Amino acid sequence: MKISVWGHELSAWIARAQLAAYGNDIYHAVADNEPIESHLRSEPGLLTSIQAAEFNQRLIIDPHKALESDVHWIAMESNDFDEAKTLVKRLAESNNRLLLINQSNFGVGASDELQSMLDESKGQYVIYFPDVLQAGQAMQQFANPQALLIGSEHEAATELMLSLLRPFHLGQRAIQRMTRREAEFVKYAITGILALRLGYINEMAGLCDQLGIDIDAIRRGMTTDVRIGSHYLQPGSGFGGQQFTQYLEGLSTLLSEQKGSVFVDTLLQQNEVNKEWPFRTLWQHYQCDLSDKTFAIWGVAFKPGVADVETSPALRVIDALLAQGAKLQIHDPEALQTLAARYPGNQQIQLMTHNYDACQGANGLLVLTAWPEYASPDFHRIASQLENPLIIDGRNLYDPNRVQSAGITYYCMGRSCLTNA
Amino acid sequence: MTQAWSKLEQSAARLSALHLRELIDTDQRFESLSFRHEGMLIDLSRQRIDTQVMNELLDLAQERQLPSAIKALLEGEHVNNTEDRAALHSALRLPKSAQLPLDGQEVVHDVHKTLDRMEQFVNQIHQGQWRGYTGKPISDVVNIGVGGSDLGPLMVCEATNQFRPEASLNIGLHFVSSMDGSQLSNLLLELDSETTLFVLSSKSFGTIDTLANAATAVDWLQERSGLNRELLIKQHFIGVTAAPEKAVAWGLSEETLLEFWEWTGGRYSLWSAIGLPIAISIGMQGFRDLLAGAHSMDQHFEKAEFANNLPVLLALIGIWNINFQDIHAHAILPYDGRLAHLPAYLEQLEMESNGKSVGIDGSSIAHRTCPILWGEIGPNAQHAFYQLLHQGTERVMCDFIVPARRYVDRESSLQDQHQLALANCLAQARVLALGDAALNDGIDRPTWQRYFGNQPSTVLMLDELTPYNLGSLIALYEHKVYVQAVIWGINPFDQWGVELGKKVANDLITALNNSTDHQYDPATEGLLREIQNVRGNSQ
Repeated sequence: MKISVWGHELSAWIARAQLAAYGNDIYHAVADNEPIESHLRSEPGLLTSIQAAEFNQRLIIDPHKALESDVHWIAMESNDFDEAKTLVKRLAESNNRLLLINQSNFGVGASDELQSMLDESKGQYVIYFPDVLQAGQAMQQFANPQALLIGSEHEAATELMLSLLRPFHLGQRAIQRMTRREAEFVKYAITGILALRLGYINEMAGLCDQLGIDIDAIRRGMTTDVRIGSHYLQPGSGFGGQQFTQYLEGLSTLLSEQKGSVFVDTLLQQNEVNKEWPFRTLWQHYQCDLSDKTFAIWGVAFKPGVADVETSPALRVIDALLAQGAKLQIHDPEALQTLAARYPGNQQIQLMTHNYDACQGANGLLVLTAWPEYASPDFHRIASQLENPLIIDGRNLYDPNRVQSAGITYYCMGRSCLTNA
Repeated sequence: MTQAWSKLEQSAARLSALHLRELIDTDQRFESLSFRHEGMLIDLSRQRIDTQVMNELLDLAQERQLPSAIKALLEGEHVNNTEDRAALHSALRLPKSAQLPLDGQEVVHDVHKTLDRMEQFVNQIHQGQWRGYTGKPISDVVNIGVGGSDLGPLMVCEATNQFRPEASLNIGLHFVSSMDGSQLSNLLLELDSETTLFVLSSKSFGTIDTLANAATAVDWLQERSGLNRELLIKQHFIGVTAAPEKAVAWGLSEETLLEFWEWTGGRYSLWSAIGLPIAISIGMQGFRDLLAGAHSMDQHFEKAEFANNLPVLLALIGIWNINFQDIHAHAILPYDGRLAHLPAYLEQLEMESNGKSVGIDGSSIAHRTCPILWGEIGPNAQHAFYQLLHQGTERVMCDFIVPARRYVDRESSLQDQHQLALANCLAQARVLALGDAALNDGIDRPTWQRYFGNQPSTVLMLDELTPYNLGSLIALYEHKVYVQAVIWGINPFDQWGVELGKKVANDLITALNNSTDHQYDPATEGLLREIQNVRGNSQ
């Protein structure tokens, strides 16, 4: 089938790669046949798939032919709604049947607005297909969806959509049909409850520190209740991610505008406070003076498996440390390039290829992203390389006893009862 | 008396029988008696003067050698003779490119070095990178200071609130001045010790009011944090002073100290680092705009011929009213709620500067000097003391201060409210001047409904209230005060009259703490006894 894909979001590139891999001809109007942003290039499996599609001539740059397809997949950035409307206006000029699959975060009601620009009598329909892909696992999640959420008001459009995605669901997955506006809102509601869980467990961790109990025991206890489950209950120094944050901010705006509620806004503000937990811990440890000290940082990506630092909690910590005149030796398996672009020519920052090298001569180590390669390090090696044996763990990665038996002062979240610090 | 003085006395007699409404009703009255500098207009057409009086006042200024006195002020001569120093507030607003040697040393460089340090502090606070003892960013700034270290920053912050940049909107600004801790005690109940920064402002660093409040603030921080004094002061205090060695002895570190200089009088100091709360509120760009507006007024004061020189004209009108019209009350009436603190600010500026009866040569002087100044937001004062202005026995001169334009990008109902304030401002100036004739309806009213009018007033109209125009307005009054001091032959830059009370209070503290053998006057002894009785009963 001939499909045009518009936009630069992760979901646009995943759609190109996976739809081409299953035999569709993909047209697009981009400048380059590969994503330029390094966080997209490092999405596992994406780049090789895109390159294969291009080699097989299933991925074709052709702005004119892209306008002629019957199926259009739109996954643009949230502030590109005007661009999307311009595109849809041009598409509407054709007399053909059209299926527009909107996957962009333009807000609740945007897909209806796009539909109003089309002519239903000619079989021109818009479907909203929420983007539920998680960075780091997006290829696999597209290929093997657990369920399909489809916002559509026309049976014919729904059927066409399902046949298009048949190789991925094989008719065996649950399909939830709803209106376009409902499908648009579902994504906000999902993001909101995930953030609530993270915010909640962080509050509990802070309380555990005060009460002298172990948050990890509490968390394990909570997960025995099937109503609660185990996901998104790991305390950490703040959450981030561009898409996650955008939907949350969107939800916060909806709540405040529609019903004067600060429910999600409070959560977002508290998250900003949580992001600085590693800094505050260091600040208090060193009695409010970090000038001319050097710190090692392990991990700056907003989560493991991605190279994206935009909205990463690590940035708040880095900015705070730089403002106090500290020097930083930073390691990250994937995100160093994107980080370097944010701090061009900064003399206080040194990027390190090896994680142990970052510790050399430093007055402490901050662990900010839960990359697998940080999970079980040689603590004696860390202790010998640090000038002051100190670890501040913003992701609760380690067993306090193991760290402390290497002579390291250890701070983590909600487990002060197990640490001497 | 000098020649010009005698002529003015004759003119006063010549005009004494004329009502102000007759003076106003002359050709080109407004055109010849309104004066503009940039975004500011002063309208003297409702003063009891004519062209001849104006000329005689200008002669008086020449006779009192005002040109050389202005030069002496701006060039840094020791115009404050009793303390043997310059009064160079104008140097605080010179651009970076300017040069001004004072007693052989260049001052502009130091001034801008301090401005740059203020900018660093302001940026750090705005970016959320000034941290309290737990590492949280500062959310509230409390200015502790009194007199010049309080009134100026407070007045300007209130007046320019709408110009706060995004980065400052999350910072709460508070002012604490009263010696008895009234303001501070309430504030400390609300504020979070982890995120509160104190700006400790005292030129001498010996002001008991300020140090008492600072001691309470330090105690509060210690109690809440359990940390040592040194660490808390380093993170939670910025000092602003002209006595750095005393500030360091108190516990401030040089890193968090901003200096100004002996040659800046307290009531002229908002342009110095004392203005830090202003810069925190409206950003450094806003603060620099304020300085630029004042500098523009300095240049106007230096260069414009007296017949068009706003500070000179405003001063001369005051001289005319005080010394030749026998008016000794001066009301400051802003028709703009943002200028609520301007009357209090000008009370200090004028009365502490020119409330003197000893001449510059030490002899007592024969004529009157500074009148009683007071004021209130005009529309509110209409419901309070305007009765006295319209029908009382006191003669009062009034300054109406109002912006022509406001709320341009706000709701139309707010624009209507400003329209209402403007209408009231014009109406009051008109009624004060004309009396009953303002209505002109020919109705005969009973005596208690009559308005005599004939009260002179000046209208100061700003195109709009911006940091720049406010800077000009304040500098206008500063220079007006200086011109009047020159004409009266007094020193406006000392304040010996406030010293004795401080000394006697120190003495009485011991008397209140424990009984001394010292004998006071019977009135004081009586009160001391009463206080001991009341305290004794409550124990």
